[in-house]
Amino acid sequence: MKVLLVCSQGMSSAIAAKALQDAAAKKGLEIEVHECSTQAFAEEIKNGYAIGMVAPQIRHRYDVLKQQADAAGIPCVLIQPQGYTPLGGAKLLAQIQNELGEIK
Amino acid sequence: MFDKFSTFMDEKLSTPMAKLAEQRHLRAIRDGIIATLPLIIVSSMFMVIAFLPNSMPTDWGITQFIAANQAKILLPYRVSMYIMTLYAVFGIGYSLANSYDLDGLSGGILAELGFLLTIIPASIGAPSEAVAALAAENADLANYLATIPSGFVLPMGNLGSAGMFIGILVAFFAVEVYRFTQKSGFKISMPPQVPSSVARSFESLTPTAIVLIVVATITMFLGINVHAIVGNIVSPLIKATDTLPSVLVLIFLVTFFWSFGIHGVSIVGSLARPLWLVLLEENTTAFAAGTAVTNIAAEPFYQWFIWIGGSGATLALALLFAFRSKSAYGKALGKTSLVPSIFNINEPMIFGAPIVLNPMLIIPFIIAPMVNGIIAYLLTSAGMVNAVVASAPWTLPGPIGAFLACGNDVRAALLNVALIVLDIVIYYPFFRMYDNNLLADEQEEA
Repeated sequence: MKVLLVCSQGMSSAIAAKALQDAAAKKGLEIEVHECSTQAFAEEIKNGYAIGMVAPQIRHRYDVLKQQADAAGIPCVLIQPQGYTPLGGAKLLAQIQNELGEIK
Repeated sequence: MFDKFSTFMDEKLSTPMAKLAEQRHLRAIRDGIIATLPLIIVSSMFMVIAFLPNSMPTDWGITQFIAANQAKILLPYRVSMYIMTLYAVFGIGYSLANSYDLDGLSGGILAELGFLLTIIPASIGAPSEAVAALAAENADLANYLATIPSGFVLPMGNLGSAGMFIGILVAFFAVEVYRFTQKSGFKISMPPQVPSSVARSFESLTPTAIVLIVVATITMFLGINVHAIVGNIVSPLIKATDTLPSVLVLIFLVTFFWSFGIHGVSIVGSLARPLWLVLLEENTTAFAAGTAVTNIAAEPFYQWFIWIGGSGATLALALLFAFRSKSAYGKALGKTSLVPSIFNINEPMIFGAPIVLNPMLIIPFIIAPMVNGIIAYLLTSAGMVNAVVASAPWTLPGPIGAFLACGNDVRAALLNVALIVLDIVIYYPFFRMYDNNLLADEQEEA
């Protein structure tokens, strides 16, 4: 399963991406996490992702990004602030499972 | 009490303001200009190289080589950062057209056309016989004439930051014309039998004709100097951006948004970045020409003296958590956020500590960058540190970035380090209080 994290410039989301990847590996789940900037999101989300996740600090852009994800037919959620830290991988994972159901 | 207040502020103030910055024209400016940043950063480095001799021993061979070839080394900068509006306009047109679900490429090209129509080409003929005769006797004149190109030339002065606001306006005009012609049906339409690619090529003729005729009439046929008019209007705004009060207002706004967990720089930057770029480019141009560098508060000034470790000058806080924390959470947070903080990425700190909606940490988060701003502004205007002349990549560690951005000034690196120490002092009491709270919570749970 592929997950796309989006933040202002694709920098800080890389940290959250790593946390998510680690949290998934701990549970033996296979998740591939990528990150991108808001400008690249509309194109990138088309590349076979299961879900798009928007960083909390750009929540004012969530509506626009959600539309872009909708256009690609991909679910899109706003990341909870508590999940957007190097220690928040488990929370991110829970949020994904909340949205998509249990991951196999 | 604080929860109610913060929810109220977030719902009624910060989020609506942030959404305002998502208005499509502002977004187009932001995205168009952001697209030019790699170009500005890389060509800035040519500036750094060209002026390395200033900070190297003069008797080194490499110093003398660079000094002798300075003008040549700066040529790539002349066709990139020096004429950045040319690039930004395309990006703005592209982005705005996309936001209307129109063809981005056509929007970019129309915007570029409109912008270039405000730059009047000059035709330079061969010297007259009388001039040629004078040149034959005067070596200086002959040398000078040899440097002048013949044929049509485009003056480059207004292709850079000086033309930024005209560029923005013209890009808006061009794309709005494009949208109007597409949506209103005011265009050359082909019967359905005509292949769609052919039909599209005709459809794009109408907006092109309107943009070309309208802008050319104003700038070329009526000879109205739009650059001078808009320049007069925005120059007070640019000057105001360079003052200490406006530096403090911008710092407050950025940290205010971040206090609610909203990316402050990306919002404030949507409006301020064009102005910051004008300030920076004026400095860079002056620096390259060897004249006095006068502006203080361009974006790199914020980057290297105010946002040390990220918005809110949080490198200091990350250091405190990493080395002075007594709580287990604080230690873990410090360990994981310190390295990103060194490279000016502080979301782990902002959402991890958290600083967001945390009154104990919001106070120093706003105060520390303000103090940094005041000190750096005063020192720069007193000439104790060079003003910023280059845009170094924002993910460089502070002292290195400050050194490069100020035209290889060691004093800038020292100032950066001194401000980090000062920020530690400012953050410390608040950090202590918060860390003790964390510790108390942990002991309660245990």
